[in-house]
Amino acid sequence: MTSMFYQKLKSWPVWMFMGFLAVALLAVGAGRQSGPLTQEDRIDNINQRLACPTCDGESVYVSQAPAAQNIRNEVARQVASGQRTDDEVVAYVENSFGGQVLLVPRATGLDILVWVLPIAALVCCTAGLALTFRRWKREQGGQATDADRILVAQLLELDTHNTDTL
Amino acid sequence: MFAIAGVSGSLGQAALLVGLVGAVFGMFASVVGTRQNDEKVLRLVPRFATLCVVATISAFACMEYAMITRDFSLAYVQKVGSRSTPALYNFTAVWSALEGSILMWMLILAAFTVTIAWKYKDKLTDPLVAWAMATMFFVSTFFFILTLGPANPFSKGAAGVLDGPGPNPLLQNHILVVFHPPILYLGYVGMTIPFAFAIGALITGRLGEGWLLETRRWALFSWGFLTFGIILGGWWSYEVLGWSGVWAWDPVENASFIPWLTGTAYIHSVLVQERRGMLRVWNLSLLIATFSLTILGTFLTRSGVLNSVHAFSESDIGPYLLTFFGVVVIVSVGLIGWRGEKLRSPGTIDSPISREGAFLANNVLFGIFAFVVLLGTVFPLIVEALQNRQLIVGEPFFDQLATPIGITLLVLMCIAPVLPWRKASGELLRHRLFWPAWAGLGALILSLFVGAVGLAPLLTFSLGGFAAGAALRQLALATRRQGFRGLVGRANGGMVVHIGVIVIAVALAASNSYTRSQELTLNLGSPAQYGGHSFEFVRFVEEKDDRRISVKAEILVDGSGTYAPAIQKFTNIGQNIGTPSVKSMFTKDIYLTLQPPVKVSTDQVKIKVFIKPLMMWMWIGGGLMAVGTLLSAFPGSRRRPTDPVSAPVAQEVSA
Repeated sequence: MTSMFYQKLKSWPVWMFMGFLAVALLAVGAGRQSGPLTQEDRIDNINQRLACPTCDGESVYVSQAPAAQNIRNEVARQVASGQRTDDEVVAYVENSFGGQVLLVPRATGLDILVWVLPIAALVCCTAGLALTFRRWKREQGGQATDADRILVAQLLELDTHNTDTL
Repeated sequence: MFAIAGVSGSLGQAALLVGLVGAVFGMFASVVGTRQNDEKVLRLVPRFATLCVVATISAFACMEYAMITRDFSLAYVQKVGSRSTPALYNFTAVWSALEGSILMWMLILAAFTVTIAWKYKDKLTDPLVAWAMATMFFVSTFFFILTLGPANPFSKGAAGVLDGPGPNPLLQNHILVVFHPPILYLGYVGMTIPFAFAIGALITGRLGEGWLLETRRWALFSWGFLTFGIILGGWWSYEVLGWSGVWAWDPVENASFIPWLTGTAYIHSVLVQERRGMLRVWNLSLLIATFSLTILGTFLTRSGVLNSVHAFSESDIGPYLLTFFGVVVIVSVGLIGWRGEKLRSPGTIDSPISREGAFLANNVLFGIFAFVVLLGTVFPLIVEALQNRQLIVGEPFFDQLATPIGITLLVLMCIAPVLPWRKASGELLRHRLFWPAWAGLGALILSLFVGAVGLAPLLTFSLGGFAAGAALRQLALATRRQGFRGLVGRANGGMVVHIGVIVIAVALAASNSYTRSQELTLNLGSPAQYGGHSFEFVRFVEEKDDRRISVKAEILVDGSGTYAPAIQKFTNIGQNIGTPSVKSMFTKDIYLTLQPPVKVSTDQVKIKVFIKPLMMWMWIGGGLMAVGTLLSAFPGSRRRPTDPVSAPVAQEVSA
């Protein structure tokens, strides 16, 4: 009785219901606002996109160096004035501080490779795996090769000589 | 008095020379002994290993002695020693710069070599073991050359120096400097052991299925320490760096993470080999990749080509490491090309929807993850070489790519634990995944209920619930059948590790997505509110010793407890170090830092408050991973390692 019930419970319709519910809930959660961003949140977001010019790859957000402190102050001023969007503040800092202050490579020129290569790797690996599985599938129903026969013959030979060792 | 200037330097130098001789002789004894099948020669191998370890311990002791007696005749003591460093941080100062950290590497490597040599001393007649020993000695030889050449900790310094600056302030500021580097090195250097066995297997053209289990166990041992070391590093970063984060995708962090990724791929795919005898060459390649990546990572971060917070001063160690890396890769690839065909197994994997299929997918994901992290780490070098311009690849790049990979790994962790070997039907999956899937849905509803937003974190929470359900299902089935033994062995211990990983993933997603911060200016006697908590400034406390001047601001959080974020100025080095203060709760951490400039004479203080949800679970998850690794090191009720893979299994653990 219970096993029948369980079987019914775990049937496709229940799974589909669960799937729909999950997608609907995710859509609700993804769309819902987390409340307005405070100025401080905006400052943190911008600082996380900027590189500290004197400290080797740390972001302005992370770094405790004076140069990072300067940029943090500038970002805070820009955000407080309310004139610019986040992207504009980043561009402004890039122009006024000079040098390399962007933490993320742009998707142009040679830099695009850093985005393209991971995707290429994913495609290659997935395709390679798919091909291997196809080959394996073909081999399963396959005929024994001569090499297989020789191997079996050798093992049988060995077997007759060393029955006691088995 | 023994501390005549330079005595410990000369003794240490001599000890390293003896060690080098021991390693070279050990290597020859292993090779000649096994080639000529001469047991007498082979019996010398463990003795040479002992000689190496005694020599390295002596060298390390000399270095400590020089540091403790402040022997400023040595360049290294001049660099990191100081009369004002407290005893504990003076002790750890030995590994606070390049030369000393290579010496510690050597110490751990020699300890592993001697452990392997004595543990398997009766099996040295097996050519596989002898070649593995030769490999260990070969690596040791290289590191002895490093310590005697470009990274010599005992070289003489300029005359007349009477005091030094002491170690980097961050390395004399927190107790974790005692634990994080040695534990991380245990894992990092430990990867040499499985590598040595892999080379042994390739040279002999024979896997020796019994050695497979030993190799797996050593790989697991190293992986466990590497994991623990990385987590301690995150904790250290959180406790001292003052930006409230655990991981910054810094090149040195990446250098430890990339071998961790390939090592993780190995400890999964080796199970396919144990069970089905397949993927042998692939697994050997993963071990070789893991070891090579430790060397490449050391090259990238210790040669001055990449800079980072962890960076040591430049030295000419780079060409040595790069050459060694090249030799390791060329020899390994050559060996795989030469022997690979012989080791290859003829079996096939029936269906992608199977345990084997899941392990392969796992390997693809971990492989791509490792590739992404390596690419991001070396990309600035590539751009500089090709176009001669500076470029930074920072956190946002890694975060953007790691998030989808991490979520896909979570999907895999939901399904893989319930998959049977060979083939699974849709009906079986519907049946086995039913309750785990509800756990995922429950986690999703719960997180929406507490106000979570955003697609990536919500996916992480729901998949985390699902994957935890799948892991708990496996553990419940195993313990129901076997009692407490259902918690040990690789499959069950592995599930405990999975739960730890899930807890960390949830904590990371929550703290990365929902951290809120605010700068507060507090006036004496008037509390300020932020994020539902009150913060009240009590007073400044100034402390001064001959090493540093520290200013603490005592803060009451919600009217209780004294939290004292501080700024310390290390007078020798002229560097300011902030020290955060954290109130940890199960649901969130309140992380306080003192913001400069600090004016002690006023009644006002500026602090920055970070409110970080679920941070504590990061450390709980780390603890679970450690416990799970220990549990999986105990053998479950499986076939004995010396049995052939076709022997019947005593009791099937996975359903």
